[in-house]
Amino acid sequence: MNTSTLDAPVVKRSNRLKATKLNNKMVTDYWEDLFRAKENGKLVCWYEGVAINPILQAADLAWCHGEAAAALMAARNEEGPAQEAAEAAGYDRELCSYARTHIGCGILSQRSTEEAKNIMLPSDPAERRSLASRIPLPDMIISAYPFCSTGQQWDDMIYRQFGKKVPVFNISLPWIWGNKPSAKYMSGPEYRESVAFLVEQLRGCIAFIEGISGKPFDHDKLREIMGFIKKAAEIKIEAMRLCKVKPSPANFFEWTNSIAPVNFLPGNQEIVDYFTIKRAEIQERVDTGVGSVPVEKYRLFWDGIMNWNKIGWLSDKMAGYDACMVAGRYTHMGFWHETEVIDLSDPLDGMAQNYLTCPISISAPQMIDKVIEHCEFYEIDGLVLHGARTCRAFSYPQFMLAEAVTKRLGIQTCMFEGDMVDESYYKDEIVNSRVEAMLEAIEARRQRNRF
Amino acid sequence: MAAYVLGIDFGSTTGKAVILDDEGAVVASCVSQKGAVSDEGVKVALQAALQEAGITLDAIKRCVATGYGRRMLDIADRTITEITCHARGAVALVPEARMVIDIGGQDSKVIAIDASGLVAQFAMNDRCAAGTGKFLEVLARAVNVEIEDMGQMALAATESVKVTSMCATFAETEVIALLAEGCAKPVVLDGVHAAVAKRIVGLVARVGQRDPIVMTGGVARNVAAIKHIEEALKTKLIIPSHPQVAGALGAALFALDDLRQEGASRRRQDSKVEGEVDQLMAAGMACVPACAQKTTPITFKTRNPAAASVAH
Repeated sequence: MNTSTLDAPVVKRSNRLKATKLNNKMVTDYWEDLFRAKENGKLVCWYEGVAINPILQAADLAWCHGEAAAALMAARNEEGPAQEAAEAAGYDRELCSYARTHIGCGILSQRSTEEAKNIMLPSDPAERRSLASRIPLPDMIISAYPFCSTGQQWDDMIYRQFGKKVPVFNISLPWIWGNKPSAKYMSGPEYRESVAFLVEQLRGCIAFIEGISGKPFDHDKLREIMGFIKKAAEIKIEAMRLCKVKPSPANFFEWTNSIAPVNFLPGNQEIVDYFTIKRAEIQERVDTGVGSVPVEKYRLFWDGIMNWNKIGWLSDKMAGYDACMVAGRYTHMGFWHETEVIDLSDPLDGMAQNYLTCPISISAPQMIDKVIEHCEFYEIDGLVLHGARTCRAFSYPQFMLAEAVTKRLGIQTCMFEGDMVDESYYKDEIVNSRVEAMLEAIEARRQRNRF
Repeated sequence: MAAYVLGIDFGSTTGKAVILDDEGAVVASCVSQKGAVSDEGVKVALQAALQEAGITLDAIKRCVATGYGRRMLDIADRTITEITCHARGAVALVPEARMVIDIGGQDSKVIAIDASGLVAQFAMNDRCAAGTGKFLEVLARAVNVEIEDMGQMALAATESVKVTSMCATFAETEVIALLAEGCAKPVVLDGVHAAVAKRIVGLVARVGQRDPIVMTGGVARNVAAIKHIEEALKTKLIIPSHPQVAGALGAALFALDDLRQEGASRRRQDSKVEGEVDQLMAAGMACVPACAQKTTPITFKTRNPAAASVAH
């Protein structure tokens, strides 16, 4: 018997949207601008959590979103130097990989300054060229993390890493419990109290920025920026909903690529144009019956944060299974997902509402209802749960979610462990065995129903 | 010439082979242990099974492979995951089964079975070896007992100690420390089995306990593991006559479905099609509910009813 490897399955690639290239260019341009921020005389804010970038943009700051920086590095396979620097500094591998990567950026960027070259161990030239080393040092830190105490601790570490000299502002986002009978998604006294509490803090944040920049905050500019963001997000949602058709013209992995324009890129006409082009491309695929995967036999939903270093890999893997990951909690239930509440005459209230209803800050029943709504709308066959090893906060309700979709919709689920940006936690065979077993179970049910 | 089908479970530590005749009766089943994902183990198991059946490979008309090394076998017509195959095999052995607990070398699985014998839901251990056969193997070595003897020895425990259920490496250190403190081997082993049971209970909770529960896999031959799992789940486990070959049996039953669907005249090599899922589904029956149509346990015609076991 010869036990050599069988002919490999025919490799199928997902059918990438052309608009993704535009997105990649916008992201690259943004980071290049950020790297030159100090040369351009801009103050730099490091922040974590929700998308407060419109406030930072209106205040004419440059900004670095910690998770975005970590995700970018992972997507470009450049996360290594930052993660190694954090580990060398004593940060355990079990800690949030976003935080470790960002803290590593802090270490490397400090080591790469002209001053550091004279007083510290000089970093090697390759390290100085790395993305992590090029992020400009912060002039202020804003912590705006929903749901996860790691966010505050992460910023505390960054604060200490910079010698406790960089001013910090903390925005506290209340958890939406939704337990009172009056509490519904985005309504009820508890919700309104939380919105008011957050709006007050956003005003405090603006005052904090004014205190450092010495410039009065430009509220007109914020309204203008939010106008672009609202428009871009509306088009994005319309484009997402076009994926109800079979075969779906775009997939979850394409939508992860589209987080950047509405999460941390500047709010301007460019992001509106980008989503307009993307929507048109998707509409064209709808009109011509072109799918996101060569053959769509299964429509899946992704729960959990993205494995940023595996976007293309997982996209093609699903295509190989003739499965389209149509939508996901991460992409479809956050990032300016509630555009109708954004009142451009007074945007802070609507911004607060979007921050508070991100799918990791609302109670499990509300989150589950929203996921089920999406699964029904997109006619999902199976739910894939990605448990991020170093983000247990996201994983808490996942088994409850799996149970609910099985009971209420009768759809199959499977779970695998991976991570956001630490590739060492990803094991391909674990994904294969779980996803394949789920697809087999879906197929078995279909065939039984045919009899 | 009589037609036979073959199911192979290419596991992480053992190779299992089951041969069925065209009536669906087991004519041979064999287990071989040859180390991690070993094609040698599979070869030994297959050769022993062919010998047991008194046939040559030419008589095998269809072959389905499962297990971690399933894609490494060029004689397989198609591959199916161990979840689907274990469920199929367990239901064939115990038709009333509504849940399967399988503790294999590298992973533990809990599979909920619906009323028609199909996989309703499943949960598997994460990347950690805790709660798997490998966990027991590592700790048997630490205690210096043969893995086959550790269950029986654990039953002699007169008291209980806690052993971590989190990590095999930490558990090994802990076990060595307990032995150094003078803790008796049976007591330590009892704690080891309790740790395994704890992990399994967690997996059962994920999919929701459904009785009756069948236990398969090599650990189903371990009396202490069975005792602790039964105590933790407050139910009696059904241990089929051939627990270790359930996955291979399931694979063989799928091969039999394929044979019946396509006819024995079609040669195996002809059915190869492009694409993994295409390959999976091309046989038409794929992962069909044929298992659900069975109401009586499968019969074993093996000359050795205890299933030949070849350990090397």
